[in-house]
Amino acid sequence: MTDAKQELITLPQILSIPQRFATGPIMGRFLRELRDNKRIMANVCPKCGRFQLPAREVCAICRVPVTDFVEVGPEGVIQSFDLVYYASPDPLTGKARKAPYTTTNVLLDGVKGEDTLWHLLNETDPKKIKRGMRVRAVFNEVRTGSMHDIKYFEII
Amino acid sequence: MKHRNVGIIGVGQTVHSSHREDVNQPELIHEAVTAALADAGMTMADVDCVVHGNMELFEMIHQPDMWHVIGDGAYGKPGIRVTTGGTTGATLVCAADALVASGLHDIVLAIGFEKLQEGHTTGGITNMADPLWGREIQTGALTGMTADAMIEEFGEERAKKAAMKHRVIMDKHAMKNPYAHRRFGFTDEMIPAMIANTPPLVGDLTIVHMCSQSDGACAMIFAAEHVVKKLGKKAAWIQDHVTVHREETFNLFGNHTEVSTMRYAATKLFGRNGITDPRKQIGVFEMYDPSSWWGLDWTREFLLLSGDEHLKMVENGDIGIDGSFPINPSGGVVASNPIGATAMVRVAEAALQIRGLAGERQVKRDFDLALASGFGGTLWTVLVLLAKNPPVSEEAQS
Amino acid sequence: MEEQNKDRWVVDGQLALPYQYFAGTVGSHFLTSLRDRKKILGQRCPTCNKVFVPPRQTCERCFANLADAWVELSDVGEVTGVTVINYQEKYLPLPPPYALALIKLGGADTPLTHVVAGVDPANVKVGMKVKAVFADERKGSLLDIKYFTPA
Repeated sequence: MTDAKQELITLPQILSIPQRFATGPIMGRFLRELRDNKRIMANVCPKCGRFQLPAREVCAICRVPVTDFVEVGPEGVIQSFDLVYYASPDPLTGKARKAPYTTTNVLLDGVKGEDTLWHLLNETDPKKIKRGMRVRAVFNEVRTGSMHDIKYFEII
Repeated sequence: MKHRNVGIIGVGQTVHSSHREDVNQPELIHEAVTAALADAGMTMADVDCVVHGNMELFEMIHQPDMWHVIGDGAYGKPGIRVTTGGTTGATLVCAADALVASGLHDIVLAIGFEKLQEGHTTGGITNMADPLWGREIQTGALTGMTADAMIEEFGEERAKKAAMKHRVIMDKHAMKNPYAHRRFGFTDEMIPAMIANTPPLVGDLTIVHMCSQSDGACAMIFAAEHVVKKLGKKAAWIQDHVTVHREETFNLFGNHTEVSTMRYAATKLFGRNGITDPRKQIGVFEMYDPSSWWGLDWTREFLLLSGDEHLKMVENGDIGIDGSFPINPSGGVVASNPIGATAMVRVAEAALQIRGLAGERQVKRDFDLALASGFGGTLWTVLVLLAKNPPVSEEAQS
Repeated sequence: MEEQNKDRWVVDGQLALPYQYFAGTVGSHFLTSLRDRKKILGQRCPTCNKVFVPPRQTCERCFANLADAWVELSDVGEVTGVTVINYQEKYLPLPPPYALALIKLGGADTPLTHVVAGVDPANVKVGMKVKAVFADERKGSLLDIKYFTPA
């Protein structure tokens, strides 16, 4: 007899699956330039001249391959920012992030178009951050070919 | 022109909740399926094909449509699985529509579900961000950028008041919806305290602005016109739908010139259906509002408004069930969000409104068209237009 | 080509998040039966006259409600299919090699998937009679049956 007040079983599990992500030649080029040359590279559509960040293989608007890379930044302007108070888990590690932290979308100097670079801002007081402020990328001494070769952006 | 018309003749949903430890996934779905079949006056024997969807990262069960056959009646039937993030439910509607309109099947059952309690909602959604670009810093569907932009445009006091009023109106609607997950009993008098005291999640997006995390399922029965006529059923007809997403989703933030997917979808859909004054020509809008800030902002986008018209609509209560342009009589996504079902629930609720079956949350005045939107994934929009009368079709003309 | 390959490599990562699975009312009754009484239960559909295990609330063919249609099954069954697992993975219940089998328990119409141990995996054959061996420590999971062994 199935009892209405019966015990209900829950099976908790922390799933942790190893994954491997291929950079591919386009993202790979972007990451390699961060690591080896401390340069931020966008790629440029030969037809519409739009700068793509992140660099993508094809301009989705013109539907042509995009091959030329151009250096942009390292300074730029805050287009938007988010002050994150909620410490959600980072699925890449399974660990809760340390909050508060600030993310920002930066329109880098030299970019034609509106693609922004998405990264961390080293300021967590909302009164000290405004859209339109100028910021600069701060690179790590030790770099591995990841977005975190840029440590964060700082307000200048 | 459509090859043949498709009518929604059955709607079933569970009471959305965060406490469904008493059922596993197929059992949850079974509740919605039996309700939809009962509404349509059918059995599973009548169904030709089953389309099924959810977001797998929330329960981490691979190919759940296979397992769910023990609850959803799909045994021995052709089926398709659809999974498009938060828009899944609405995309399921589009898929069912295409399957019936094409002539491939006469009667299709669509099922959307989610058991969010089985996973971590924000952690799951965060996986949509590119692992090499942004996944470490992205926070699911949580963002304060829209609040920030609205505060800059309209001033902090007015923007915050309007967003909280939107929240309160949605709760008032949810109180009339027996299927809604969260029904708090908010009142206008509570707004100043809610603004001052609610803990923030990201920027000025607070925990009260943000949608639920619900367990729930929704099922709908779609039938070809000749079936609807033969059964003598009252249907909500699918007049049109459009799906819009944009390639540069995670790169364009802040001030930019590109039109939102909401505005683009509305422009296209209204344009090809002769809708020049949506607030007059459409009777009710079930909008997918993941947060009160987005619900408020997207009122301007979907209705192709400018300036502060949308704020005035909320401030004046125009969006109430008895207002001049009701939005989310069901309470919306902020009240119930079983993600794989949510976008379908928007269409289901709009269908109930068209058929006059929405009970206490029924919009009372006469209208011919209802609108429903889906949102999700990488900021997609699915926009569905339902009609009281069948549109002109090739089949009807032949 | 050399230049191009400098730009391609592979980054190690993970997908790590917490989950929980709800067995539901019916599933919980099955699991607590294993845990507390060392009994394997099935459900009989009255219309289709079939006995299902593992449990489900609804008969998939006729939609009959099976929530109270419990029957006690034998803990002895017959192997109807078998495969040998030869690789190591942290989520698998045992190190390789081990036999994973479909076992039709006495009284059931559907087979239960479980491990057959206590015999060389290569010698587990279709038709073999096997009996459930329960774990000493049981938590309300299918592994409360430790494995099946030749009867």
